[in-house]
Amino acid sequence: MTALPVAWFLALSGALLAVGIFGLLTRRNFILILIAVEIAMNATILNFVYFAAFATSGTGLSGQAIAVVLIGFAATEVAVGLAIVLGLNRLKGSINVAQANELKE
Amino acid sequence: MDFTSFVGPFVPEILLLGGTLLIFLLDVLGLRRNEWLSTVAVTAVVLALLSVLGDLGFGPLSVLATLSPGQIDTLPAFGSAPLYHFTSLGLVFQAIFLLSALLVTLASASRPSDEPGAPIFYGLLLLATLGMLLVAVASDLIFLLLAIEVVSIPSYLLVGYRRRETRSMEAAMKFFIIGALSTVLSFYGASLLFGAYGTTNLFLIQADASTVGFPVLVLLGYGFLVAGLAFKVTLVPFHAWAVDVYDGAPSDVSAFLAGGTKKIGLFAFFLVFLGPVLLVNTAAAGQSPFGGGAVDLGPTLSITLGVLAVVTMTVGNVLALLQKEMKRMLAYSSISQAGYMLIGITIGTAPALTGATLQIFAHVLMKGGAFLVVAGVGALGIGPLIDDWKGFGVRRPLTGAAFALMLLSLAGVPLTVGFVSKFILFSAAVQAEGWFIWLAVAGLLNSALSVFYYARVLKVMYFDRPGPLETAEGTAAAASAPALGAGGLGYGRAVAIGLAAVLIVGVGLYPQPVVGAIQMAAQHFVSAGV
Repeated sequence: MTALPVAWFLALSGALLAVGIFGLLTRRNFILILIAVEIAMNATILNFVYFAAFATSGTGLSGQAIAVVLIGFAATEVAVGLAIVLGLNRLKGSINVAQANELKE
Repeated sequence: MDFTSFVGPFVPEILLLGGTLLIFLLDVLGLRRNEWLSTVAVTAVVLALLSVLGDLGFGPLSVLATLSPGQIDTLPAFGSAPLYHFTSLGLVFQAIFLLSALLVTLASASRPSDEPGAPIFYGLLLLATLGMLLVAVASDLIFLLLAIEVVSIPSYLLVGYRRRETRSMEAAMKFFIIGALSTVLSFYGASLLFGAYGTTNLFLIQADASTVGFPVLVLLGYGFLVAGLAFKVTLVPFHAWAVDVYDGAPSDVSAFLAGGTKKIGLFAFFLVFLGPVLLVNTAAAGQSPFGGGAVDLGPTLSITLGVLAVVTMTVGNVLALLQKEMKRMLAYSSISQAGYMLIGITIGTAPALTGATLQIFAHVLMKGGAFLVVAGVGALGIGPLIDDWKGFGVRRPLTGAAFALMLLSLAGVPLTVGFVSKFILFSAAVQAEGWFIWLAVAGLLNSALSVFYYARVLKVMYFDRPGPLETAEGTAAAASAPALGAGGLGYGRAVAIGLAAVLIVGVGLYPQPVVGAIQMAAQHFVSAGV
C-alpha cells in the first residue's frame, strides 16, 4: 500500500482552516459564524489525528486523545456562543452582527 | 510521589473551585444577595492568595505553606512528559492573578444587594481565576491552551452578564467572535508544532527547538501561535477588539479583563517563546531560518516580537492621545502597556523578565484600580467623557488623589511602582546590548508621549472649573443614585481602590521585597526553562 504524503492532508486541513476563518470574518449571521468556528476547529482536530497516525515514534495515543478533548472543547465554545446569540436576539430581535453597532468603531 | 506533594500545590485552585461551586449552590437555593455572594468570593480569593504567598515564602505567611520554599522548583514531574510543572515564577504570577481577582471582588461587594446576575458574576469570576492559576503552572501546549480557554469562556459571559444592556451584549458578541478566532489560530499552531516535534510538551519542544525535521511546519506553527496569543494580549495588528470590549463591558469586568485575564497571554508568551528565544540569545547560532535540516528560530522570533512590541506601544499611545472618553483612553493605554511587557520577553534575560513581571504586577494595580474608580464614579453623576471629570480632584479629594496616583504610575513617574518596573525593564534592554537598546529607546520615547494624555486628565480633574451645566446634571444624578457609604463609592470599592493606591506607592518607595522575590523567580525560570 502506498501511503498518501503528509502534504495532502496538510492541504486539506489548511483549506478547512481558510474556509473557517473566511466565514468567521465575512458572515453577518451569528449562527453561520458559529458554524465557521466549528469548521476551523475541525482543521485542527484533523491535524492532530493524522500527525499521530504518521508519527514514527513516541506519540502513542496522545494525538487521538487530544482530538477527543478538542471535540468536547469546541462543543463548549459553541454552547457559550449560542447563549450569547439568544441574549442578543432577545434584546434586538436580530442575530445580524452588522446591526450590533452601539459601540463605535 | 506522595499524596501531599501531589495535592499540596493545588490548594489555591481547590479553594477557588470550592468557592465557585458554593456560589452556584447558593444561587440554586435562592440565596442571591450580593453581600453573601461577595463574602464567599472574597474569602475564597483571599485564602487562595495567602496560600500562594505562603508557598512563595513571604515572611510570616510561610507557616501556611503546603510546600517549603526551596521545594517549589524541584517538585518531581508527573510522568516523563508532564502536563503541569510548578515554578516560583508561576507562583508569582498566580499571586498577581489572585490580586486582580481580589480587587474586583472587593469592589463588587459594594453593589446593590438585589442586583440581578450577581451569582453568575461571582461564579464565573472565580472560575476564570481558577483558569488563570492553571495557566501559570502549564508545561504542555494543549494544557496551556485549554487553561487559557477556561479563562476565556467565562470572560465572554462576564462581559455580557448584564443581559438587559445592549452595549454589554454587543461587547460580549464581539469578544466571542475575536476570542474564537484567536482560539482557532493558536490551536492550529499547536497542531502544526505537534506534527513537527511529535509532542506537545514544552520541555521536549524547547529541548529540540534548534533542530527539527520540518522547519516550515515549525515556522508556521509558531506563526499561528504568535497570532493567536497576540489577540489575547492585544498586540497591535490584533488589538481593535479590546477597546470596544473594555468600553462596552461593565467597568468592574473591564478591570478584570485589562488587569487580569490579559496577562495570561503574556505568561503564555513566557512559557512558549522563552525557550526558543533564549537558545539564540545565548548560543547565537546563525543559520538561515529556511535552511535544510537545522532551523534557528531565535532571530526570527525575537525580531518579530520586538517589532510587535514597538508597534504596539506606539499605536496604543497615539490612539490614546486622540480619545475623548475615559474608558476608551484607558483601553488604548492598556494596549500600549502590553508593548512594554513584551519587551521583556523579546530580550529574555533574567533582569528583563523581572522588569516585565513587575510591569504586569504594576498594571494590575494601576489599570485595574483605574477601571474600578471609573466603575464607582458612574453612580456619582460623572459621564463617560474625560471632560465630565472637570473639578473631580477638588470635589472628591481622596478618590481623586487615588485616581491621579494610578495615572501617574501608568505614566512612569518616580516614587510609583510604574517607575520601578519601567526602570528595571529599560535598563535590562540597555544591558542586553545589540539592537535591544533600540527597544529601550522606543520605550522611553513612548513613555514621554504617554505623559501627554495622562497629564491632560490630571489637568481636567484639578484645574478645570466645572461648568454650571455639568454640576446641575451631576447633582441630579448623584441624588438619584442609591446612597452608599464611603462618599458614595461603597466601602468595598473604597477598600479596593485604597489597597491598589497603597500598593502603588508602597512598592514604589520600597520595592525590595517584591522585586527580590520576582528576581529570584525569574533567575530560576531562565536557567531551568519552562
